[in-house]
Amino acid sequence: MHDDAQGRFAASVLPHLDAAYNLARWLVRDAHDAQDVVQDALVRALRHFDGFRGGDPRPWLLAIVRNAAFAWLGARRPGEVELPDDELDAGLALGATPGDPETLAIRRAERREIDAAIAALPIAFREAVVLRELEELSYRDIARITDVPIGTVMSRLSRGRSLLADALRPHALRALT
Amino acid sequence: MNNDDDLWLDALLDDELDGAASLALQRRLAAEPALQKRLDERRALRDAVRAQATRHAAPAQLRAHLEAMLAPRVSAPASADAGATRARVPLRRAAARPWMAAFGGACVATLCTLVAVDPAALGWHRGVVAASLQAAEASEAVSAHTRALLVDHPIEVASSDQHTVRPWLSARLNFVPPVVDLAAQGYPLLGARRDVLSGETAAALVYRHGAHVISVFVRPAGSDAANGSEALSVVRGFNVIERTQGGLAFCFVSDANPHELQALADLVTPLAGK
Repeated sequence: MHDDAQGRFAASVLPHLDAAYNLARWLVRDAHDAQDVVQDALVRALRHFDGFRGGDPRPWLLAIVRNAAFAWLGARRPGEVELPDDELDAGLALGATPGDPETLAIRRAERREIDAAIAALPIAFREAVVLRELEELSYRDIARITDVPIGTVMSRLSRGRSLLADALRPHALRALT
Repeated sequence: MNNDDDLWLDALLDDELDGAASLALQRRLAAEPALQKRLDERRALRDAVRAQATRHAAPAQLRAHLEAMLAPRVSAPASADAGATRARVPLRRAAARPWMAAFGGACVATLCTLVAVDPAALGWHRGVVAASLQAAEASEAVSAHTRALLVDHPIEVASSDQHTVRPWLSARLNFVPPVVDLAAQGYPLLGARRDVLSGETAAALVYRHGAHVISVFVRPAGSDAANGSEALSVVRGFNVIERTQGGLAFCFVSDANPHELQALADLVTPLAGK
């Protein structure tokens, strides 16, 4: 690769390094492993930079990071990357209709509790929640990054949030922490 | 109320509904207090997550390594010395591991090559499958070696004491690699880590020789591997020696010269008759 292409790559990608690391860190749930994944992803991204046709580099980079994280997990912890099937979906029916005290509890939940609840989500829901709530990406970008239809993004995000709400209710918090 | 309602409420919160759908939902919200309450709850959850959840910032060292990797090249990438000069500043944090500071530069230079050579692109023609397989594995071992040095965790258990390293590995692997400290012969043991080669967990022993770091990957040999077989190759400037002995496959990787690498290979896996 020529220096000018490499320079353009650095200028496009390095500003989004925190987002890349954040996604990798939430997907593999380990600081060292996340560095490995980002490293792999950057090497892949550099190799495919010719295929990047301008626009916002962040979703493009995050898609590569996401794929690198899944490849990494697939080789080392394959149990974590199995996508939810219908059975799992059926098990996710919502719990009791919450009342006000529970809403209050969610509002007051602490960082530690919220982090633990996100980390405990199955990966398909976790990635949707992280990309939406922490990276504030649009449904369309999340669909591109995770390579699923927008409808699937909507249902995963919604189910992910419902699981978080369940985990952060007062009785559940005790079990979580 | 059903699960689909949550989906629409979320889409409303996320500002992803088009005008008509948004209007229809607003009408329902005005008529159904339970739905409005549900929306308030979803909003409270979203606000709490956004306000509190940890956004992990890239570690300074990772950033420094990547910046060094992407810095404009000032000379041919094959020149490790030029790379080292450039990389030494961002790598100063790693001064506690001087061998690593010395090698970061070489790795940075190598990474440029890494990008160009994809193991998958190494050719896979009928008749040379065995050779390709070997080339792919050597290439993978070199990648594992450089990756470990770049990402700052070449070692999970840092010890020159073979009686510390060996039990640490055997507790985590389903085989027991030979671990010997060869400081007296000029190859001090720095430690070990686990790594993955060809989808299998391998032990990676890390030795130092002068200014060179040497990775020794060990894993159970395939049933078809001939005992005592040996292959020497050069992958992206790194010397690679592969040996099979006692049911284990060894792979020695370093930028040390072939004779120095061979000497270590002979110390770790003394061949019969030598």
